[in-house]
Amino acid sequence: MLRLLGYLLKNGVVTNSDYCPPLGDGVIGLPKLTSDNCVGSECSQCADICPTEAISIGDGTENANLELDLGKCIGCAMCVRVCPEETISNNTNTMTATQNRKDLVLSTADTQENKVINESRTPFARSIACRVVSTGCSACDLELSAASNSIFDMERFGIHVVASPRFADVLLVTGPVPKAMHEALKSCYEAMAEPKKVIAVGTCAISGGLHRGGYAQANGIADLLPVDVYIPGCPPHPWSIIDGIRKVMR
Amino acid sequence: MNIDITPIDCELRQDALVSWLNQPGKRLGLITSIDGSQIVTLLLDTTENTATLWESQLSEHRYSSLTPRITQAHWMERTMWDMFGLEPVNHPRLKHNLLHEPYDEKLCPLNPEGQVSAPDGHRQYHSLEVKGDGIYEIPVGPIHAGIIEPGHFHFSCLGEIIFNLEIRLGYVHRGVEKRLAEMNWQKQRFLVEAAASDSAAAYALAHAVALENIADLAVPEKAQHLRSLALEIERVAMHISDLTGLAADIGFLAISSSLGRLRGASLGMADLVSGNRFFRGFICPGGVIQDPDHRLSKLQAAAKALKKELEPVIKSFLANQVVLDRMEKTGKVSERLARDFGLVGVAGRASNQAYDARHHFAAGVYPLLKPQMAIETNGDVFCRAKIRVVELIESLSFIDMLLETMPAGPISTSIPATLPANAVGLGIVEGHRGELIHLVFTDGHGNCKRYAIKDPSINNWTALAIAARNNLVSDFPLCNKSFSLSYSGHDL
Repeated sequence: MLRLLGYLLKNGVVTNSDYCPPLGDGVIGLPKLTSDNCVGSECSQCADICPTEAISIGDGTENANLELDLGKCIGCAMCVRVCPEETISNNTNTMTATQNRKDLVLSTADTQENKVINESRTPFARSIACRVVSTGCSACDLELSAASNSIFDMERFGIHVVASPRFADVLLVTGPVPKAMHEALKSCYEAMAEPKKVIAVGTCAISGGLHRGGYAQANGIADLLPVDVYIPGCPPHPWSIIDGIRKVMR
Repeated sequence: MNIDITPIDCELRQDALVSWLNQPGKRLGLITSIDGSQIVTLLLDTTENTATLWESQLSEHRYSSLTPRITQAHWMERTMWDMFGLEPVNHPRLKHNLLHEPYDEKLCPLNPEGQVSAPDGHRQYHSLEVKGDGIYEIPVGPIHAGIIEPGHFHFSCLGEIIFNLEIRLGYVHRGVEKRLAEMNWQKQRFLVEAAASDSAAAYALAHAVALENIADLAVPEKAQHLRSLALEIERVAMHISDLTGLAADIGFLAISSSLGRLRGASLGMADLVSGNRFFRGFICPGGVIQDPDHRLSKLQAAAKALKKELEPVIKSFLANQVVLDRMEKTGKVSERLARDFGLVGVAGRASNQAYDARHHFAAGVYPLLKPQMAIETNGDVFCRAKIRVVELIESLSFIDMLLETMPAGPISTSIPATLPANAVGLGIVEGHRGELIHLVFTDGHGNCKRYAIKDPSINNWTALAIAARNNLVSDFPLCNKSFSLSYSGHDL
């Protein structure tokens, strides 16, 4: 036991002191649009290769309006790889969560990265209790767990995970919510006391992602619950998750 | 690997399969159907390292169940009832596995007829009822207390002792297999990886091997090395994650937080190779998507550092008397049970089942190069933890060896846009949970008509239910973590 204590002391503080540092060299984040001109509908390589139909290209060649929906994007970066003009490039910023679904849709008509955040005051400014309902492939769950490890340590921001909806201020939903989870998810939400918030964690929860439109009706939570914050990514980086939760705390 | 398809009469199949399984080294891989008009049985021979496929034509939507004679079949037959509407007659515990009450009573997603007539109320689920003085029940889930995938555990207890545990899954059934058969193969890999993302590298590799098997393609040596590298890093990350869970459930927080941090280091290794913490998008049919050449020296240093860091933590963990007291003799699975259920992976090897797909079937650099196999005989939580520890250290050495012997050359080869018609492809990969099987059939135009996935968890879920019997309720979390099974990989 003494040896273990010595080991822990020797390691010192391992928690990352930067808030949402940019992703490291070579790490693939979500895509972003740059001001470089899109070749337009003649090219359409990005839209063709996208596995989730997250990209649409308007008519015309010069300055064609390209739209990329981060709420459908799984971050495979295939569009970044095939784009001949670098119109689509890798975004190393992890502060990607938004409060409006439409803000997840990037457009070459407006390449501003971070939208204005709704600054109205919430009762959860200092601390927030989260209830997590997992309905997917476990990637978002693993990243949520990672967000509470000693590197990211989300508890220092007042964010903690609780074991019952009765104690919770915010419901975090991961996964596309297939049919067999619809009732369970709704009853969990109903068991929470007001005021309460809902966060869609990951692309599946936002739109159903790769599973959208199947017989299991795994189309995300939009049709089931009111959503306050959307955290895109497949899965989102732990920093994105922490930043997204902090967006309901402001 | 060449796969022979042998036609066999459905009734004769029973005796043939029983005598097959009585031979040493012979295994049952998977029982499923292509379109509901036949049953296909995948047989694996781990002495010759070959696979055989039996095809039995059906004239109706019923067949006599194998389960009374072959225990391992029980879960697969239930799943076939869900997906194809094929009813196994005389199945001892026939219940729906994946499709719950909210689904239409006639729905059979993988049957091209779309629906099969079935008696009213057949989707109703009834847990096994345990009666007697003092028996009480603890229902848990589908939503769990922590950050875990959904599933329902129904405990029947006598005092603090678990008398029976019934596990109900299917809550994350998303229709993955049907969707895969509707997609063109170029985009399948993204969905395959998202089926069970804690095994993304294993799933992507099994998918790639199956498609390369259909297209009869050889993959460049360097790609094989990089694929194995990905698989072993994934194993390291998940084995650390499972040990973290065990330490947390025992309440040994100094260990769980140290291991949690070190898992972060292994995810950093994944980032170095693929740009993604879970290797999403890295392995593709034909090879790998990018060459991490200039980062490999960094990776080698990281692997060495991680090994050095892990050793004192694991030593402190396994030397602790309380830890031993909680893990030894808890959640035992006998060798016979392990054989009957065809247990795979860590759980199988902890109960003396010397089976590791890396030693038998071609994927990545295996079985040409392979790490040592770890075997234990007691089948308890401690054995499963010890196997994880040995495999973890062994994988880190193996990663070092792969980096030392990394060949030069191309990282991928192209696959023809259209796959051969009426072909079958098989990919078998030892993921961190054990044997993962992908079986792909193409139609007359070379399109995928059936994509079957057998997650390692399918073999092991029932064993967890049995291992929990006669244990304390408070020890269930330990049993559960020591098995570390996938809900999403099972439910698909």
